[in-house]
Amino acid sequence: MPADTRRKRGIEARAALLDLMPRQEEAARRRLAELVESVAARRPPTTSFSRLWILGSLQAKVTCAYLAYWLRSRWADADERERLKSETHLKAALELLGTMGYLRGAVMKLGQMLATFPDALPDEFARLLPALHFEAPPMHYAMVREVFLDEFGKEPHELFASFEKQAFAAASLGQVHRARLHSGELVAVKIQYPGIARTIEADLKNLRLLMQPMRLGEDWGNVVAKLAEVERVLLAETDYLAEASFAQTVRDSFTREDGIVIPRVYPEYSTRRVLTTEHLEGVHLEEFLDGNPSQELRDRYTHLMTVATMRMLYRTHWLLADPNPGNYIFMPDGRLGLVDFGCTRQLSDEEWQMQVEVEDALLRRDEAEMERLVVKASLYDSAEQMGRERLELIGRVIRWQLEPWLSDGIFDFGDEDFFRRGMDAMIEVTRKGFMRGMPVHIWTTRFILGARGVVYRLKGRCDFQGIYRRESGRDMHP
Amino acid sequence: MRISEQAKQLCRARILEKAAELFAARGFDQTTTRDIALAAGVAAGTMFNYFPSKETMAMTMVNEALAQGREEFLTRLDGSESLEEELFLLIGTELRRLRPLRPFLGPVLERSLSPFPRKSVCPEGEAARQEHLECVRQIMHRHGFAATPEDVAGTIYWSLYLGILASWTGDHSENQEASRGLIDYAIRTFVQMISGNTQGGDHAR
Repeated sequence: MPADTRRKRGIEARAALLDLMPRQEEAARRRLAELVESVAARRPPTTSFSRLWILGSLQAKVTCAYLAYWLRSRWADADERERLKSETHLKAALELLGTMGYLRGAVMKLGQMLATFPDALPDEFARLLPALHFEAPPMHYAMVREVFLDEFGKEPHELFASFEKQAFAAASLGQVHRARLHSGELVAVKIQYPGIARTIEADLKNLRLLMQPMRLGEDWGNVVAKLAEVERVLLAETDYLAEASFAQTVRDSFTREDGIVIPRVYPEYSTRRVLTTEHLEGVHLEEFLDGNPSQELRDRYTHLMTVATMRMLYRTHWLLADPNPGNYIFMPDGRLGLVDFGCTRQLSDEEWQMQVEVEDALLRRDEAEMERLVVKASLYDSAEQMGRERLELIGRVIRWQLEPWLSDGIFDFGDEDFFRRGMDAMIEVTRKGFMRGMPVHIWTTRFILGARGVVYRLKGRCDFQGIYRRESGRDMHP
Repeated sequence: MRISEQAKQLCRARILEKAAELFAARGFDQTTTRDIALAAGVAAGTMFNYFPSKETMAMTMVNEALAQGREEFLTRLDGSESLEEELFLLIGTELRRLRPLRPFLGPVLERSLSPFPRKSVCPEGEAARQEHLECVRQIMHRHGFAATPEDVAGTIYWSLYLGILASWTGDHSENQEASRGLIDYAIRTFVQMISGNTQGGDHAR
């Protein structure tokens, strides 16, 4: 393409981009649009992760522009020299996004959410929320065979009676294949992308390097702690044997009557990188919704999902840290299958204590105590230090998260107004950059948002408070 | 008395076995031909009748491993593989055979496979190149691509392959799993290039 045509196209693209960017001071918008265009024009080398790299498209650029806008708001009141310096880092950050192997997908989707707000319909949000999970690149069968030789010293077709070459589902760190054991059972075989742990480490190292100069000021120490937390949880996920043992613990918490199925693990066909479990018949959320299920069925699954997560939380103090729509299997007999326990986080005693105190204050409707806990969870010493705006906004998010706990009778998770209020508050917090808080709350927030996205799409209802009472063993009106 | 062909083969095998042990234990550069002769229980002069240098010994082991890998590769095909998959399997199977030699391969491959002009070309290194490229050519032919070992595609392929070998030889991850992604990437890059296809390459999921 001649240089002149390229330049013209660049200008057209920038104009289109400008049109879609956040409304704020014209000069800043123009600079951001130029910045994003210049980054997008420089194509990073395609990798096997290239499926996710779409910065060439207008939508991806808008996404980046919104991420840039968000990051930029952190130095809005800096002087000109500081601002230029920060923009250099911002540019590097956007370029870096293209080199990320594992976290990019999630970061891009976060930007997409920021970009589509406030015009997005709640339904678009609900689709995006559960999609905010991490993703490894796909493997062809030749690669799967080599992983098997490393792990078992055998080829998949030697180990199993039959093995489907094409994966039937994506998992956060790899993919899942159907296979049949020699004894006849149908199994799901999850295979990890080789070397993904290093990719995660590299991504986080890059993130740390780039965020360092971004004028995060007083929150920097907290950012470092959170990145360390993310790294720890993601790396723990790479050990499938740990996942197998956790799945067993969860399995023991449910009985036949619960209607909740945790697939059994086949340890003799599992290693740190390959996990073989019972295969559950059923469909994922999208396919379930395509079948236009009755309200009764939607409510039933909402009930089962609530029971399942409450039981895990109250019995074992664990939560799914990276919920994705693939975690839930809608089984033909009306039971709910729960699969893929890789990314989980167990609450420490101190963190659990905090959870209990919040519930206590909430149920007593003790506003003063709630405020004290919001301040504490945000790692401030006092409400004054935290500041009114931050306190009010974080409080709004936490109250929205806990709203079902306070509602008697049937709670409607499909209620558009309820969902919208939560999203508004979350986006506002993100926009303001009020991210300081206990590292564990990355996961509680992710978990609640992921789950709310699913039940909103289900348009499901359940007696949330009743389930809470039964699963936690707490009296609602002490 | 002339020694029999069988005795010759045994002696040759013993020299290679002892050389491999010493290379692995001490490193390639730290092992002398004297050490090897001593360990194998042969006179230095006799040993030179078999192998003119320790590079030749090491590359002989490499070539034997690679040849076994290629033979095994052919038995692993079922005809349903894409070009990318076949190349991935070829390299994967070869490297698996090469794995026991990995601790001392760095300096050996650097000297014997260097693509830069040298005073004396290592004949075993040249054989390794020719035989691997011949196998690649046959694979490409099966998938409808014509190529000779000396054409541009062959040269680019060989550069990528040397990069893979270099990374894999120094890869400290378990089972060299970190190199798997690189192999996949390198092969896709190559296939995209010879296909003239800037879009494709990813596997459908």
